[in-house]
Amino acid sequence: MKEQWKILIAIGVGAAIGTLSRYALNLITLETGYPLGTMIENLTGSLLLGFLTAWFLVSVPKEWLKAGLGVGLCGGFTTMSTLAADAAFLLQEYTIMNSILYVFGSMVGGILLAWIGYRAGTILSSRLKQKRAKEVEG
Amino acid sequence: MNLFLLAAGGSIGAISRYFLGLVLMNRYPNPPFPISMLTVNILGSLGLGIFYGLYYGEIPLGAYDDPVYLSIGIGFFGAFTTFSTYSVEAVQLYNEKKWTKLVTYVTLSIFGSILTFFIGFILL
Repeated sequence: MKEQWKILIAIGVGAAIGTLSRYALNLITLETGYPLGTMIENLTGSLLLGFLTAWFLVSVPKEWLKAGLGVGLCGGFTTMSTLAADAAFLLQEYTIMNSILYVFGSMVGGILLAWIGYRAGTILSSRLKQKRAKEVEG
Repeated sequence: MNLFLLAAGGSIGAISRYFLGLVLMNRYPNPPFPISMLTVNILGSLGLGIFYGLYYGEIPLGAYDDPVYLSIGIGFFGAFTTFSTYSVEAVQLYNEKKWTKLVTYVTLSIFGSILTFFIGFILL
């Protein structure tokens, strides 16, 4: 199969899994009345993509796997358009403070978690590399 | 059936994001900051605003048995836009100590998306 097709299929499958998981989490948190689901998805998705980005710098995978997990799974699991709609919804139904907390929590929390994921990915992948190098020596 | 439509909407959304990202990267190979996902997120938020405004006239939060809401709202626009790439691109700007670009990128991504959602929702 051509590489470009593999990439597209991987993105499609990854996004389907990501979107279905996002839907499931939204449903579970629906009864709170707050758009908590989207916030959880955006924060954990940022953590995961941060980790994968650092990890893939050291152990470079096949292009389709990288696209499937990054563009497809993480991209499909997290969302900016629903965040925008949630911010407007909170402003309309609750208070401006709720909306501000939600927006700033996502904005800063996402970057913080992506940074933690990135650090963890860097540390773990370099340890794995050292271990492998030692095994080759020994 | 609803779950199939949801998954299909998500797949089409993510593949469209991938293609638009490629087009923008080819057109602007050295952008001042990550414009590809910024454009995608702003376009997708505008699109979701227009869709909610035209189709519902309100912001639906719990229309989880409506196949149109699931396939277009949660599926297509949900997966077309992305948050995780925004976070990681912000971290990369932070790691490179590009402070002005970081602040511009973060502000434009988040508030630009909210603003364009509003514009789509109210104007149409």
